[in-house]
Amino acid sequence: MKRKTGLSWLWLLLGIAYFFIPLAATFLFSLRGKKGVFSFVAYANVFADPLFLKTFGFSLRMAILTVAAGLALIVPTTIWLHLKVPKARPVVEIFTLLPFVIPPIILAYGLIRLYAKPPIALVQSPVLLVAGYVIISFPYIYRSVDAGLRAMDLRGLTEAAQSLGAGWLALMLRVVLPNLRTALLSATFLTLAIVIGELTLANLLAWPAFGPYMAQMGRNRAYEPAALSIISFGLTWGAIGLIQALTRSGRDKASGIGAGAH
Amino acid sequence: MAFIELRDIEKSFGKNQVVKRLSLDVGKGEFVSFLGGSGCGKTTTLRMIAGFETPSAGSVKVDGRDMSGIAPNKRNLGMVFQNYALFPNMTVRRNIGFGLRIAGAKGAEVESRVDEMLGLIHMEEFAHRYPHQLSGGQQQRVALARAIAVRPSALLLDEPLSALDAKIRVKLRDDIRAIQQRLGITTIYVTHDQEEALSISDRVAVMREGRIEQIGSPFEVYNRPATPYVASFIGTLNLLSGAVADPSKGTLLVAGRELRSSGPIEAPAGAEVKLSLRPESLSIGAGQAGHNRIEGRIESVKFLGSVVRVVVETGGQRVFMDTFNDPSAPPPPVGSSVELSFPPEALKAGAAEAASEPERAAAAEEG
Ligand SMILES: Nc1ncnc2c1ncn2[C@@H]1O[C@H](COP(=O)(O)OP(=O)(O)OP(=O)(O)O)[C@@H](O)[C@H]1O
Ligand SMILES: [Mg+2]
Repeated sequence: MKRKTGLSWLWLLLGIAYFFIPLAATFLFSLRGKKGVFSFVAYANVFADPLFLKTFGFSLRMAILTVAAGLALIVPTTIWLHLKVPKARPVVEIFTLLPFVIPPIILAYGLIRLYAKPPIALVQSPVLLVAGYVIISFPYIYRSVDAGLRAMDLRGLTEAAQSLGAGWLALMLRVVLPNLRTALLSATFLTLAIVIGELTLANLLAWPAFGPYMAQMGRNRAYEPAALSIISFGLTWGAIGLIQALTRSGRDKASGIGAGAH
Repeated sequence: MAFIELRDIEKSFGKNQVVKRLSLDVGKGEFVSFLGGSGCGKTTTLRMIAGFETPSAGSVKVDGRDMSGIAPNKRNLGMVFQNYALFPNMTVRRNIGFGLRIAGAKGAEVESRVDEMLGLIHMEEFAHRYPHQLSGGQQQRVALARAIAVRPSALLLDEPLSALDAKIRVKLRDDIRAIQQRLGITTIYVTHDQEEALSISDRVAVMREGRIEQIGSPFEVYNRPATPYVASFIGTLNLLSGAVADPSKGTLLVAGRELRSSGPIEAPAGAEVKLSLRPESLSIGAGQAGHNRIEGRIESVKFLGSVVRVVVETGGQRVFMDTFNDPSAPPPPVGSSVELSFPPEALKAGAAEAASEPERAAAAEEG
């Protein structure tokens, strides 16, 4: 027993080391902006660069639009799929793999070819960028929602709500969506993280986005890219922490009252 | 006039016809159970009443209103499911109040009705719990309260107790019946548990392969089964074979003894027929004058509590005998010879194509 726990601790430490040594190295490197001393000069430079805020702000806006469009499109579809054509789920699952199989560069060229000239000229419009992002984030949103629906006995709850007089709107707003909360949150933050860091699509469609900015920075500077990496790492983990906190607060509300009286 | 009226309803899934020209009248305030083996169409029939399935043919009427084309949420029928289907994001209180809020009831009105329901299921102190903080039995009580809170015109329950363990099942089924009688609510109850159906129903509809094989009071279906299937499905049944001696007198030869059956037999003398006999109609000893008597050897004795089941081997056939436990008279030892007797009315001839062997065996085991 003892040896086993010792061994699992060893593996845990190895895992932590595997992930954190490069991170620590990057962090230390990012502090060496000034010769001879550790300093946050690189960070200051990053934040001082007006392009940083501008590109980050742009990508954040695109990400929020992507989340809105993606959820609006995919959540009802997935619910409908579960309720009406559950047999088609494996097929859709294969579709969700397409964005992984087809590289973004092909997606980008396809979008440009199709929408560069009339009847639908969209390359100048951020709509096309968001549409592309929706495709890229489709697997993540679909899988989160799918898992959320599978965890909640959608059919049973639907029928229970209907037998109590609920129509579709009440069913969605009062039963399905509240129970999808965790799934929707994780879909949201995954999409945010992916879109904010996305490079190819933004580059090829020539938008001043955060992904291209980071790439540019990496080519031209030494310490700032490391600082940028740490910053975006922090942002990502901040987002994940937020998911945890938000879902936990939901659950605490659920289990806090009357607990212990079992 | 019937409150719930099913007229020749049918349902097919593709080529598979699972409900066949089924008609049923349920009176107002009546408690009717659908009883039958797995896959016989009980759930499908219930779901057609609830509106979750559309009949391929036939009509469903509730309180004189034709239900065809009416969505489930407009039917005002309470439904209780096997897996409770409570809303996990709501407390007990909000679950019970859900239907009332949907119907547009205001705060105070909802709260007082919910309190009333909580009292009905004796769960006042659990009002603020979430479903996952309740036991299965408690969850099902909440589901029941949720269904009746909206004052539905009828209550439909689909095996509400089958996910619960035996003790709670018995307690809760009595609670359901008590609440049903108190409110006088018309109820259809689906189960595959015959004891459950017999113990709480006004009438039991025994279903088989999409049809109602017999409908009647528990006393009727148990004591006067209309078909061999019903006879073997309900209760434990001894199935014996014998040769017809005199068809008009209804006498037969079983293991070399002449026995009298309940009436004339529709088979020629010498024909081999199946006979059915309830275990509780047998008793040890010579019995009264005119009773049939058989002799055999005791193969096993099972003590079931208030009832003792004795298995007797007679002429190569096994006969179950049930007798009440008598503390002053232990059953005869295994291996000893006994004489058993039973009244002629208890022996029914012609149960030839009764339920399949495994079903009979299962019924016998459950007893
Ligand atoms: N949606 C469906 N599609 C296809 N076949 C179905 C569907 N629902 C039920 N069936 C079939 O109809 C038959 C009757 O099913 P039903 O659920 O009504 O049986 P049941 O009497 O409730 O059985 P159980 O005691 O197992 O619940 C079964 O053979 C089942 O496979
Ligand atoms: Mg069923």
